[in-house]
Amino acid sequence: MKRIRDFINNADIRRFRFWLQLLFFVLFIYGGYFAVNLGNSIPVFSCGYDKAVGGMCYFLPLQHQLARPLDVLLSAASISVLIGFVTFLLWFIVFNKAWCGYACPLGTMQDWITGLRKKMGIRYSTYTQPQFDTLKKIKYIMLAIVILAPMGVGMGLLGGEWRTAFCEICPSRMITPLFVGDVSQWSLDFSTKTAMILTTLGLIFTGLFLIGSFFKKRFFCFFCPMSAMHYIFSDGALLKLKKDGDKCTKCGDCYNVCDMQIKDIADDVKSTNILRDDCIFCMKCVAACPEDDALHVDILNMKLFTSTKGGFAKRMEMDRLEKKDD
Amino acid sequence: MTEHKIETPKERQNRHKAMEAAAVLEKIKHDFKEPPKAMDYFYDLHERVHCKHEALHSDKAKVGTMCIQVPSEIIYALDAVPLRLCNGFYADDEIGSDFLPSKSCPLVKATIGQFASNNFSDKPDIVISPTTCDQKAKSGAIIENMGFEVYDMEFPRTKESHESREYWRRSVRKFTKDLSENLNTKLSKKKLKDAIKKVGYAQHLYHKLNILRKDNNSPILGKDMFLVTNAFFFDKIDNWIEAVEALANECEQRVKDEISVASKRSPRIVYTGSPPIFPNLKIPLLIELSDAIIVADETCSSNRMFNDMVSVDEWFVNDMVDSIADRYLKGCTCPIFTKNEDRKRRILDLVRDYNADGVIYQAFAGCQVYEMEQRSVLEAMERAGVPILYLETDYSPSHLGQLTTRIEAFVESLKNRKRRQ
Ligand code: SF4
Ligand code: SF4
Ligand code: SF4
Ligand code: SF4
Ligand code: SF4
Repeated sequence: MKRIRDFINNADIRRFRFWLQLLFFVLFIYGGYFAVNLGNSIPVFSCGYDKAVGGMCYFLPLQHQLARPLDVLLSAASISVLIGFVTFLLWFIVFNKAWCGYACPLGTMQDWITGLRKKMGIRYSTYTQPQFDTLKKIKYIMLAIVILAPMGVGMGLLGGEWRTAFCEICPSRMITPLFVGDVSQWSLDFSTKTAMILTTLGLIFTGLFLIGSFFKKRFFCFFCPMSAMHYIFSDGALLKLKKDGDKCTKCGDCYNVCDMQIKDIADDVKSTNILRDDCIFCMKCVAACPEDDALHVDILNMKLFTSTKGGFAKRMEMDRLEKKDD
Repeated sequence: MTEHKIETPKERQNRHKAMEAAAVLEKIKHDFKEPPKAMDYFYDLHERVHCKHEALHSDKAKVGTMCIQVPSEIIYALDAVPLRLCNGFYADDEIGSDFLPSKSCPLVKATIGQFASNNFSDKPDIVISPTTCDQKAKSGAIIENMGFEVYDMEFPRTKESHESREYWRRSVRKFTKDLSENLNTKLSKKKLKDAIKKVGYAQHLYHKLNILRKDNNSPILGKDMFLVTNAFFFDKIDNWIEAVEALANECEQRVKDEISVASKRSPRIVYTGSPPIFPNLKIPLLIELSDAIIVADETCSSNRMFNDMVSVDEWFVNDMVDSIADRYLKGCTCPIFTKNEDRKRRILDLVRDYNADGVIYQAFAGCQVYEMEQRSVLEAMERAGVPILYLETDYSPSHLGQLTTRIEAFVESLKNRKRRQ
């Protein structure tokens, strides 16, 4: 048991993560070709506009459901809405935001773009603290669009083209289908003025996505409404990101590697549940923490992966001296 | 007729210092239960440097540092050696007294004293003075007046805010650039990465050794650990690494063989406060001569120098420099910061982690910041039910009687407490 635990705590999670992300990417983007169907309540951006999707982003069905007229929504049809939602929750409750760090195809794409930037030897950028504090609110506005726009359609306040308003501006709609050779989403819809504005915004956001995630790690995740939605339910999830403040020296090593620039991960020594709304549960912080058990990932209060001095030294290659060739 | 050589002041001073160092080394070597064999390297090293005044780095550019906040990784990456100049000699303390107010910190006085007498076996080419405590910060100008090249490195005195992180990062970037120009050496990605990993490995070895001190069979005494960490001030890093590798292996074996340097009843002490720097190991020696053992410490001449590690996400020069900067600010528990919650938390964590029975807090008379923090640390310990002894000391070798009595009484009370449990 101790051997297994040591093995996990010393593991190079970067490699583990890379392969897991690739696996999920194939599963979600090409799953359809292999008759994989994980339903349409997947709690990440596994885009429904991809013809071969192996499990669909929950937002697409959700928007369609919410766009029904109010009396339909509150009638027997509500059962299907409820089932969709419960399935979403069940998926989410187990893995928490680790869906983002390990399974989301759009998240994975951003990590690949980051990889490209690193190869080119270009440094990443960060937000200043005030920028961070302002920008982080945007994801809640996005979530409001996901929920309120279709409801507005249902209540007859908005035109039909608002039905999937968020999807229209979601960069995933244009980018994900490219992986199965489908470029049909790369067009502007001139049918109505609203449609034109929304699809134009979509194009702009797609451009921003590509440029943004080149310079900023996980650029889009910071604004992602799914992330906001996750946070509402994350307290009930089984997988947890925990901190033992007594053991933390506030050294900031975790903050230094955090793609999402979450300051609390280092500075908050009071909370035990340290998962924040921006977090993508990538566990990089746990891997980069040099204090024994200061940060850990728990499932049902059992430590699954915990920070150790030994694991840190191993991952940073500080547990031995590199042999000199000369 | 034989010619009488008249001793120059410098020679006389060196003779005094050698005597001072030799006396302490004698004690360390012979007044205790058998130390690990691998300690011989360190006994010998301190003798060579402090008694025989041997130079270790004549072939390299030498960068003197006045505090732990000066990033050694960057100095190594620029092919120079960092020499920590914080001084523990009473002989120098006396010389330094002429340059400072009478109630100054003995460490600062001793450091200035060494500059005043310009008596170095390895003389620094440039001195980096971070703006930490007032006395250190203002020493820079005094030293500069003595004809040394001094570089003031701005260090923030709050560390919680984002602004302070940014400020310090900028300060370290500037330092990197300026030092690189001063030494006429270019910083490369590879060299910096290697330096981070080498210093990281040294820290890793220190941790390895420390973890063994958690065992009830203590393989090594605190006085020896202070010699090991003090040696990092000036030793060649490669030699130091090799020696500590051997020491860690030997201690590991000792723990397996259940060889202990203290008895089972010896109270386990966490040491905190003003830094013991060779040869001023007065208090650690008194503690361990009173049948207690120092199992951990929270001081800038030892644990604080090694504890926090550099973590880098992307190994570009700028990121490495920023990560290095954070290492020296964010986790630092130096009393010069406005708040000291981190320090209290740290001491308590060490007490728990190393299964300690009590804490001994030394403040140098004249070190205002440690003196000022004393109250709040005492309160925090009392609240947590951890016995603590506060001592005010200086570098003078006299008046040991009263200190001995107080330490012995404290150790005795810890023993009684232990028996009752
Ligand atoms: S466009 Fe975006 S929100 Fe809509 S289904 Fe695709 S990934 Fe989900
Ligand atoms: S936050 Fe990022 S990883 Fe998570 S669902 Fe959104 S795009 Fe995907
Ligand atoms: S890396 Fe660990 S010890 Fe350092 S601030 Fe983060 S949680 Fe605390
Ligand atoms: S807090 Fe940790 S798990 Fe969350 S995004 Fe940052 S590094 Fe990843
Ligand atoms: S012991 Fe106190 S006064 Fe002396 S150098 Fe250290 S912090 Fe400054």
